[in-house]
Amino acid sequence: MSLGSWLELIASGLITGGVYALVALGLNLQYGLMRILNIAHGEFLMVGAFITYTAHVTLGINPLLMVPISFLLLMGLGLVVHRLVFRRLTRTSPTLDIFEARGLMVSFGLMFLVQNFAQTLWGGDLRGYDFMADPVAIGGAQFSANKILLLVLALTISAALIVVLNKTLYGKGVRALMQSPTGAQLMGIDTERLHPLMFGVGLGLSGVAGCLLSMTYTISPSMGEPYTVTALIVITLGGFGSMAGALAGGLALGVIEAIGMHFTNPSLKSLLSYGIFIGVLLWRPNGLFVRK
Amino acid sequence: MSEHRHPHPTRRAIVQAAVATPAALAFPSLLRAQAAPVRIGYTMARTGPWTTGAQVSQEPNYLLWAEQQNAAGGLNVKGSKRTIELISSDDRSDIETCVRTYEKLMGSDKVDLVLPPWGSNANFAVAPLANRFGYPFLAPTALSRRLVEMKLPYFFLLLQQPKPMMDALVAMLKENGAKSVAVIYVDDLFGLENYAALKVALAGSGMSIVEDKSYPLGVKDLSPVLRSMKDKNPDAFIGLTYPPDTILASRQSKEIGFNPKYFYASVGTAFQLYRNVMKEGAEGVLGMGSWNSKTSPSAKAYFDAHVKKFGAAKEPDRWASGATWAGLEILTAAVAKAGLDRKAIRDYVAGTEHNTIIGKIKFSGSENVGTPGTVAQWQKGEFEVVWPKANATATLVAKPNWV
Repeated sequence: MSLGSWLELIASGLITGGVYALVALGLNLQYGLMRILNIAHGEFLMVGAFITYTAHVTLGINPLLMVPISFLLLMGLGLVVHRLVFRRLTRTSPTLDIFEARGLMVSFGLMFLVQNFAQTLWGGDLRGYDFMADPVAIGGAQFSANKILLLVLALTISAALIVVLNKTLYGKGVRALMQSPTGAQLMGIDTERLHPLMFGVGLGLSGVAGCLLSMTYTISPSMGEPYTVTALIVITLGGFGSMAGALAGGLALGVIEAIGMHFTNPSLKSLLSYGIFIGVLLWRPNGLFVRK
Repeated sequence: MSEHRHPHPTRRAIVQAAVATPAALAFPSLLRAQAAPVRIGYTMARTGPWTTGAQVSQEPNYLLWAEQQNAAGGLNVKGSKRTIELISSDDRSDIETCVRTYEKLMGSDKVDLVLPPWGSNANFAVAPLANRFGYPFLAPTALSRRLVEMKLPYFFLLLQQPKPMMDALVAMLKENGAKSVAVIYVDDLFGLENYAALKVALAGSGMSIVEDKSYPLGVKDLSPVLRSMKDKNPDAFIGLTYPPDTILASRQSKEIGFNPKYFYASVGTAFQLYRNVMKEGAEGVLGMGSWNSKTSPSAKAYFDAHVKKFGAAKEPDRWASGATWAGLEILTAAVAKAGLDRKAIRDYVAGTEHNTIIGKIKFSGSENVGTPGTVAQWQKGEFEVVWPKANATATLVAKPNWV
């Protein structure tokens, strides 16, 4: 295989991995911080994709402009969902474990609700539009412009999130909450404010991922579920609560899948992903990138 | 769900007896007068992964048909006009739900007729049941040799099966001098059967398969495979694909500059969506299609009526939609001739050569042997039938570069 082919292969893996990372970061915020294993996470990605599609096709809004808009809209939706569902759940659950179990059940319900809502609103048709689909040649390899954009934006947003969490006081608060919720509360960190905010940011990221995906793939109300599953694999790879781990895990999974599909068969992709998932759970249950 | 099962509910007497039972009292419509509506039941995917196909190729046709018939005073039941009442529900793309609902429709609701659900898998599950209850089943979106081999007397398949479709494709490629092909196929019943038929058709044709790979339903990325195919530079690419993957393979081939002389993909190429998404890039792409509005005046009338009802953004697709409509045409004629006697309908369907919008249809066993295997190609915004020449609406053109 030529160097160009390798470059193409790895880059296409990174592009897929960028989306994985973005979705996983959002889920990781929710799970790592609040122990909300949000099974409906991928559904909000779908909502982001449909909002972008509708805005672009009916109003002619540039999908790029929809990146921040979907973030804000989904973040707003996240605040509402948290307010209506998870805040109440936090108050009524006696322990964190019970909260986690209940949250899982509730998010299952949310998944069906959101999916069917989208179905009612947009119908079940497969949809898509053409945006920046022209091929761009880079050093003997060729990619569509929208894929490169997708990778660049996914990496930028992920990096920005990690920087914010590491450098700002807010970020410090969030990390403190991840390490020790009780300790953080004792130090005066306001969980009442941080929790909904981070839940919102999580959904916002999911919305951005959906927005980016709508530029490159066809969309349908059932598109979200596989991403939730992949995000779970990625945060297991990277370690629960570890943001850099989720980014690295997402990119790694994308590349592994691409190489695996090239040398074996796309039909074996799930075997590969789940194999890694089980392997990590067995041998490195804290994640590949967590030093303990 | 189906508390009352009558294995042979063909006679009116049984229906009337059923009225006396408490369960049936819940359905006052069973107390029918002569002009009572014809009750026709079906389930259709309105949610879940089958929706894409079901809502393009199948359910719009059922609705349009019922509307047209009712506007004309009702369905002609052996001379008397009776309105059509569609009894439908969402099967959520779930086989279990399909089976249970059809069991209820035929076993306890005792509808007059049923229309098939979407897709090979659902038909595979429901067809034996319909056969047991003695309901004629004209399936427009089922494609499987094994459905034919089940030899169900009440079951009829309208779409061309894998063998004629792949034979037609290979014959066309051979005549145009293709020497090598690369194949991807979805690893379910549809992909596997077509792939098997393709291999048989290629054997002895002088063409070789340079690479073949399967992929799972819901695949998100095919570029690693397409890139290695590009390196092998085959004359033809054949994708035995479903709609999302048809578009995925086309988009990604364009991205990486994989532009073989013949680019063929399967389900979904005939959809308007394909043109919407690929724009000018659709030009020259081959796929599974068997008709368009140029095929016959009645096809044009159907096309126009469909667009009028559902809007210009929802054209019928150029393959299975035509078959769905043809099936409804056959059913309409059968009911006009045989009334609602389902055995007589079955005999009429099996023993007659039917004139439909997609041409003459006749059945050998369950299989439609009247419609030949076809290949279609996008040319200037229309999906033109290019093979066989007798059915062609245009001649094959060379595929330009992706744009």
